Amino acid sequence: MKISYDWLKEFVDLTISPEELAHCFNQIGLMVESVEKIDGDTVYEIETYANRPDTLGHLGVAREIATLLDLPLKTKNWPLVELSQVTSDFIDIQIMDSQLCPRYCGLVVKGVKVGPSPDWLRKRIEAVGLRPINNVVDVSNYVCFSLGQPIHTFDLNKLGGARIIVRKARKGETIRTLEGSLVELSPEMLVIADETRPVAIAGVIGGEESGITEETSDVFIESANFDPVSIRLTAKKLGLSTDASYRFERGVDINAAPLAATMAASLLCAFGGKVSKGLLDVYPNQKKSRTVPLRLKRIAELLGVEIPAEFVVKTLTGLGLKLKEHKKNVWAVEIPSFRVDLEREADLIEEIARFYGYDKIPSEVTPVKSFELPSDRKREKIWRLKEVLFHHGFDEVINFSFADPEKEKIWQTGRQPIQLQNPISSRSSILRTSLLPGLIENAVWNFNREAEGVHIFEVGNVYFWVEDDVHEENLCLGILTTGLREPQTWNEPKKETDFFILKGAIEDLFCYLGFDSLSFEPVDHPFFESGQALKILLKNDPVGHLGLLKSEIARSYELAKPVFCAEIDLSMLLQRQPKPFSFKPIPKFPGTSRDLSFLVDENICYQEIHRQLQRLNVPYLEGFEIYDRFQGKSIPPGKVSFSVRFFFRHQTRTLQAEEVDRAMLDITSQLKSSLKIQLR
Amino acid sequence: MSTLQDKIKEYRQLFTDLASKVKEAKEAEELRQLFLGRKKGHLTLLFEELKNLPLEEKKAAGKALNEFKEEIQKLMTELEQKCQTRKPERLIDDLTQPGRKLYWGSPHPITLFQREIERIFISMGFSVEEGPEIETDYYNFEALNFPPHHPARDSWDTLYINDKLLLRTHTSPVQIRVMEKKKPPIRIIIPGKVFRRETPDPTHLPMFYQVEGLVVDKGITFAHLKGTLEYFIKALFGEKIKLRFRPSFFPFTEPSAEVDIECIVCHGQDPHCRVCGGSGWKEILGAGMVDPQVFKNVNIDPEKYSGWAFGLGIDRMAMFAFQIPEIRYFYENDLRFLRQFNRK
Repeated sequence: MKISYDWLKEFVDLTISPEELAHCFNQIGLMVESVEKIDGDTVYEIETYANRPDTLGHLGVAREIATLLDLPLKTKNWPLVELSQVTSDFIDIQIMDSQLCPRYCGLVVKGVKVGPSPDWLRKRIEAVGLRPINNVVDVSNYVCFSLGQPIHTFDLNKLGGARIIVRKARKGETIRTLEGSLVELSPEMLVIADETRPVAIAGVIGGEESGITEETSDVFIESANFDPVSIRLTAKKLGLSTDASYRFERGVDINAAPLAATMAASLLCAFGGKVSKGLLDVYPNQKKSRTVPLRLKRIAELLGVEIPAEFVVKTLTGLGLKLKEHKKNVWAVEIPSFRVDLEREADLIEEIARFYGYDKIPSEVTPVKSFELPSDRKREKIWRLKEVLFHHGFDEVINFSFADPEKEKIWQTGRQPIQLQNPISSRSSILRTSLLPGLIENAVWNFNREAEGVHIFEVGNVYFWVEDDVHEENLCLGILTTGLREPQTWNEPKKETDFFILKGAIEDLFCYLGFDSLSFEPVDHPFFESGQALKILLKNDPVGHLGLLKSEIARSYELAKPVFCAEIDLSMLLQRQPKPFSFKPIPKFPGTSRDLSFLVDENICYQEIHRQLQRLNVPYLEGFEIYDRFQGKSIPPGKVSFSVRFFFRHQTRTLQAEEVDRAMLDITSQLKSSLKIQLR
Repeated sequence: MSTLQDKIKEYRQLFTDLASKVKEAKEAEELRQLFLGRKKGHLTLLFEELKNLPLEEKKAAGKALNEFKEEIQKLMTELEQKCQTRKPERLIDDLTQPGRKLYWGSPHPITLFQREIERIFISMGFSVEEGPEIETDYYNFEALNFPPHHPARDSWDTLYINDKLLLRTHTSPVQIRVMEKKKPPIRIIIPGKVFRRETPDPTHLPMFYQVEGLVVDKGITFAHLKGTLEYFIKALFGEKIKLRFRPSFFPFTEPSAEVDIECIVCHGQDPHCRVCGGSGWKEILGAGMVDPQVFKNVNIDPEKYSGWAFGLGIDRMAMFAFQIPEIRYFYENDLRFLRQFNRK
């Protein structure tokens, strides 16, 4: 909202400079966004709030400044040159829906000479950023920006049947607006109609046919009040936001209508106009004023500072509120109709705080009365997981939660995507059902910008419908690795990433989160090349998958390099209790190790061998390490050779060589039966 | 038959000859074994011979032999020390070459900044709460005192899923969810992803991150809000940062405030400052005392309890703190951008 320094002076005798005024605005929350010097005047762009329609006119802003500076608000008389006929001789006003139009005032001004506005008026109109049109239109804008009450002027002679009917639009009715467009009206919209047709969309915009032209001489002034929600719905539906609708949807002072009509009529008298006698004021259900209780004690309780009663009374009175003291320092405060925002005690306390000055309220420490233990360690676990991935050289990314439905189709995530009703664009019209498409886009972006390798992860939600009416938000971890790895040493060549770099990071991640029941299983998954993907299992429950991205998918993103990626369901993982940590004593006696090399059938996988080795039940066996897997010339076809080092230890003494020999025999015989091994 | 003394002379010569050829520690060890080995060392054998000598010769020969043993031991020690220092193949010719490094991945700047904010509030006894990103109109608006069809909703332009569901426009619905479940005292912060129907530009995106804070207890005042936020901003931007509180409007707080901090780029000196537009101030967060209607909506008696709340945009704050000109950098995930935060 633009506020002119000179215009404010019509309402209050300012004693401060325009610069000081800007300061005052900020103090009371009318934030100055910019200041302009126009034609000797100073114009402020002020941030106004949705609950303060009274500040959408200079009068309301003047009232604030007058209160702050303790100056009186000036009142002005609006003299009229009157006709002998009364208003109802010219026009009849009928409100069909007093819910949507609680008040409607009208006056007729005859014999107006339509033409350019005088300089003072043009200056005002330009100050608020509008273009002067003609004296009648400019007067209505002047009234609107003075009082915050939008008014509309009709060419009286174009109103059929000399009637104004405030009613809902009829099905199929149309109107050509002042902007020149033909608008189709719908039955919930309120219109101003004459005997036969709508002549204005109530509170939004007037009709072209009944508008003021150069030929107009008789003007009908409408100064009415409309229901905020109805105006808002109409304006939204029509995609029209006007100075009038902006004010009405915020709630215009129900008592401003008569003054605004009189003010406009009075100003039109300067252009030869003569005004009909007696304001027509249709106001069927008079609104009662609100009273809000206020306790001085409560002000201190909420603000944390004692504010003197005199300051409270002076400030609220200045703002047009009426205080009646019930008991000492307890008031019943009558709220004027222009302050639609003041309903509760807290609202009044804010007024007092604003004028007292937020800077004068002391700063104190918020007292703590109890400490709480965190309900879960989810956030810590997520950070731990990120740390493991940083350590493995993965950078963290954050992608939009939106996805392109066309792109997601390629992935066949098997999840029912959630569609947005009003997306920013068709390419971001669904919510992502997987993190991997985003990670791939990141890889492409970086390869196009000189990156040689991309190793990234994201922790974030994916979203999908579980049933028709049931949606799910699932916290996931996506990891991707492609291209060259960072070298460990400057004179070492960069190496291509591979599947096991990804798998290693995942194994570490589970390990450092305290989960040790991790296993993998080959899987056919739409994201991955056939035979090149694993399902990740935690105690037999699937928690994710990893593999080599299917080349069709990679190609559709124009990615030539192999891409290894994984997706893990964290919501599921973080619900699980990891193995509680417990300290194990450091062994006091030396251990010993023995190696064993054996052949197994080549279709027995590493994980199976590992599992069988874990199952070994042999005394003193402390652990094992598979240190070689070999297939080649020296190995019979269909076989694969494994070499394992076994570690043995006795807790309370040093082991004898013979005991270890016996244990090794035991191991060999167990493995012969479980894995059908042949010793090499 | 040569006397023991002759043998000592021979062995001394032998030792000198062999010692001159020793270059490595391994060879020195072999020499030591040859002379001093416990079972078959030359000296051990000579001591064996000593046993067979007649008593009158034994004394003098024993003395000579002991002296010879000490001599050999001394020479051996010297030789071994020399071998240890002389390992030419292990010497590095250029010590100024870089050391071996590991590449550590970089946290996303939003994560970093969010953690920094969390850390400050956790140090003041706050706990961290989270909530769903897909919300209902009730939690996102109505419970927070936004009447249906009120223009106040215009500043929270919403992405809708259907008539019932939407993407939360702020993390405030979590305030409601927590207050529904838990009795005061409440002392929480709520970080998270939020969504608005904003056309992308250098400072706006349809998705960004917020942190909100909420304190509810008996006797909580606006002065507590001021004190806490001042501490927080100083902890984040340094002791000397100036800040101001000015009145504002939010449907869910009354009184409401906005907090501006001094422009750390121009300090109000540059009328064309890209960051503050010359005003010298940068709007950084919104706050206020919890609106009594919000309390009523969650069955907390506003006569008994009061509270304060604040909310800030993590992206915007990080942009200001790190001088990042465009918000979209955060979501392009360009490694040249992300990896800088490794050093933060």
